[in-house]
Amino acid sequence: MATVEEATPSGPSLAQRIWHSDNLAGWLFVLPAVFLVALFSIFPIIWGFILSLQKASLLSPIRPFVGIDNYTKIASDPHAITAARNAVVYTFLFVPSSIAIAMFLAIALNQKIRLIRFYRLAVFIPVAVSTIATGVMFLWVFDATFGIANWALGQVGLGPFGWFNSPQGALPSLVIMTVWGWLGFDTIIYLAALQGVPHELVEAAAVDGATRWSTFRNVTLPLLGPATLLLVVWSTISAVQLFDEVYFVTKGGPLEHTSVPVFYIFKLAFTSSFGFSAAGYAAALAYVLFLVILGLTLAQFWLGKRVVHYSS
Amino acid sequence: MTNVEFDGVTKVFPGGAVAVDGLSLTVSDGEFLILVGPSGCGKSTALRMVAGLEKISAGSITVGGTRVNDIPPKDRDIAMVFQNYALYPHMTVEKNLGFALRQRKAPKEEIAQRVSAMAAMLGLEGLLQRRPGQLSGGQRQRVAMGRALVREPQVFLLDEPLSNLDAKLRVQMRAELKKLHHRLGITTIYVTHDQVEAMTLGDRIAVLSAGRLQQIGHPQDVYDHPANVFVAGFIGSPPMNLLRGSVRDGQVSAGDLVFARAGVPDADVIVGIRPEGLRLVGSDDPGPGFELHVDVVEPLGDEVMVHGTVSARDAGVRIEVEEATLLADAIEEDRAAVTVRLAPDVRPAPGSSVHLSVDPEGVHLFDADSGLAIR
Amino acid sequence: MSAIDVSTLPGEIGMVEPPRRRWLPFSPWHLVLMPIALVMLVPLLWVVMTSFETLAQTQHFPPILWPGSFQWQNYPNALHSVPFGRWFWNTTVVTTVVVLSNLVLCALAAYGFARIKFFGKGVAYFFLLATLMVPIQVVLIPTFLIVKQMHLLNTLGALIVPNLANVFGIFMLTQFFRTLPIELEEAARIDGASRLKILFVIVLPLSLPALATLAVIQFLWTWNDFLWPLVTIYKENAFTLQLGLMSFQGSHANDTNLLMAGNVMSMLPVLLLFIAAQRYFVRGIATQGLKG
Repeated sequence: MATVEEATPSGPSLAQRIWHSDNLAGWLFVLPAVFLVALFSIFPIIWGFILSLQKASLLSPIRPFVGIDNYTKIASDPHAITAARNAVVYTFLFVPSSIAIAMFLAIALNQKIRLIRFYRLAVFIPVAVSTIATGVMFLWVFDATFGIANWALGQVGLGPFGWFNSPQGALPSLVIMTVWGWLGFDTIIYLAALQGVPHELVEAAAVDGATRWSTFRNVTLPLLGPATLLLVVWSTISAVQLFDEVYFVTKGGPLEHTSVPVFYIFKLAFTSSFGFSAAGYAAALAYVLFLVILGLTLAQFWLGKRVVHYSS
Repeated sequence: MTNVEFDGVTKVFPGGAVAVDGLSLTVSDGEFLILVGPSGCGKSTALRMVAGLEKISAGSITVGGTRVNDIPPKDRDIAMVFQNYALYPHMTVEKNLGFALRQRKAPKEEIAQRVSAMAAMLGLEGLLQRRPGQLSGGQRQRVAMGRALVREPQVFLLDEPLSNLDAKLRVQMRAELKKLHHRLGITTIYVTHDQVEAMTLGDRIAVLSAGRLQQIGHPQDVYDHPANVFVAGFIGSPPMNLLRGSVRDGQVSAGDLVFARAGVPDADVIVGIRPEGLRLVGSDDPGPGFELHVDVVEPLGDEVMVHGTVSARDAGVRIEVEEATLLADAIEEDRAAVTVRLAPDVRPAPGSSVHLSVDPEGVHLFDADSGLAIR
Repeated sequence: MSAIDVSTLPGEIGMVEPPRRRWLPFSPWHLVLMPIALVMLVPLLWVVMTSFETLAQTQHFPPILWPGSFQWQNYPNALHSVPFGRWFWNTTVVTTVVVLSNLVLCALAAYGFARIKFFGKGVAYFFLLATLMVPIQVVLIPTFLIVKQMHLLNTLGALIVPNLANVFGIFMLTQFFRTLPIELEEAARIDGASRLKILFVIVLPLSLPALATLAVIQFLWTWNDFLWPLVTIYKENAFTLQLGLMSFQGSHANDTNLLMAGNVMSMLPVLLLFIAAQRYFVRGIATQGLKG
């Protein structure tokens, strides 16, 4: 704000004014980070779009323009359609179950009982385990011959199941594995939201004659609306972008039953399955996926605003 | 007949803090009783125990003849207005008002009719479709009251309901509350830390300090005949002047003030004089009185408040009576602060000395150790 | 007034509830939470147990829940059968550099956005936020090409350079700095301190919880990252732990006991960090989530 002025009759020189100005200071502070983000995020976004209009390979710099051919190919590509369908099934299984279980867990974890810190840790800890470590873990747990899942279910007369090896069961198995990994995250958000419900409201409801269930339904649940909306949006976005688990655990199989969009994009651009020359097409798919996600998110927010009441 | 009876009610919080200690009093049917005291005195806790929001550690509370210690709040047929109103933020005013009735599964037409009647009584008709977030503080307060009253409860509890309003609104709402009580006649318990509110609103007031009942009675009685030093210093604004003194052979002396009081045994005492109990007189006045060295003069329009110091007996700064602490300030070693209320035409100059006379009959005497009033 | 014996008083917390016959000596919530906690922990515990078994024991059905004796040597064996040490080192270097870099660069940028008025600030901030919306698969291929141009493929540089400054970190710290009372900084400015000094001497010490949260979340992300290393690294000695684990699974799929030992070793640092710093994780997720 205040600039240091030299005691010369003509006032500060231009160079001095620039040096001491807020503009220079501001840009100096943000430049390193902004430059990096521009180089590694903003520029690639634009380049990605250009790529999607080319026939490209990651190996050679020769990339002829093919206009919107890459985009029109998508509709008739059976692999893309399968991937899209699997993404839809996966999302419809993953999002509701993880959110519902998380809400229930948050209520349970909000009780003041002994061992509550142990219970909370047990629920949160899977969030820290990497997708690959989780994959190694569940490949063993779901092992058809020696895994404890089949053994434990066998004790109550169920199974044995094929889990990741079964064409019908592979996707649900992925859902179980990823819900296990993400539950803690959703629960943390719900727990924070629950603790944000003013206790006076619960007391007022009790005085007004509400039972515990009625208080939950009429007071607590509506106040969890914003958190629910956030989780629905977030879970949908991450469900649609599923990759690590598919690549590592099922490789899209068996028989493409677990192939999902990002996995397909990866295969197109980075593996030899499609002759290394499908990077442009992959970029187009990526952009379409982006638009789908954007559309879904906007739709969810629009719907959410009408249903959820934010308290002031 | 809905009275509320406290019988030896005690509340001990985990960790050992005693919030309410052996409280016993009875609120008669239709009475407006005020629980008043400084923060932390236990008045809110006592109120919450009536509501069922706090468990009772010892003793019992009886509402309308039924012992309620083990009855949950929803079954007690009492209604409460919270300090921060606790309105359901996602419901309209109409739904807020009708919530309790919906919980009791009342028929829809009855709910609608009672809600609109209550809204009319409180001037809320145009606001029924708004949400609490869209209302002003005063409007929210009225919705909170409406929500409580629409149930026609046996007992009406209020926990500092006016403390979040600005001064003018507060005065207005006090009058509204009094009118409402006359109209509806519900047994009411009202908690406040503001003794002006207590004096103006209550049929009777109960003064609490550190969890214990100090005195209960009609406001004017408590004002005129405080039972102990705490009540004497708490009720009345500006507070009663308190000076250390002693009684010897029927003579009371406190600094320069000396007067006779028959029938009082020799003891160390605390002498209490209300600011309006002092008169300005000439220095040749023969009656009991003292010299006031004037420090500050506050003209208030209809009266003048003069603050100064008088000669005091010793350097005692604090008077402690059973954990209730009052300050009998000594500015210098041998002087005590005194406030006197004078007619507006008299305005002594700061720095001057004036002579004040005291009516011995109006002086309150309290035992210096126990703090209790000496008759 | 008689003293009250606290120990004989009934439970004192909360609202009055109707007296209920207690069937159990503990809260019924335990019956819900204990099984759930076990379900969440059993996969981890099973992995740990398996890591101590002999190969023959792992191929036993029904599964052996408690090996008689613990085969501690599985761990050094796993370390020697694949370049675990190297992978560990690679991951540690990358994670440390990225976390430190983010702390510095994001703090600098966040301070600029939060406290300095400069030309073009709004536009720059808007573009930064916009990148948060764009999913990774869109930037994946182009970023790969950029890194390739920089000749960073197959080096740790490929993992470090693109992640030196994370938009999420900038965003989070900007919001946090804005909550600090500006009077402290104004007083320092009047006293003649430069902006940089104010940031390091006044603002950052007040921001330790936010910085800890950022560090801990960035650590988790970087340590567990899989897709980007997969895309840019294919020489074994430059693998991170995640890639290494995948390769280990591929080459030693039948040596389950060694595999699980490797898995435990790769999880251990992050798990320990999580347990030690769970307060920051939880707070970070909760506050960022609810603000979003």
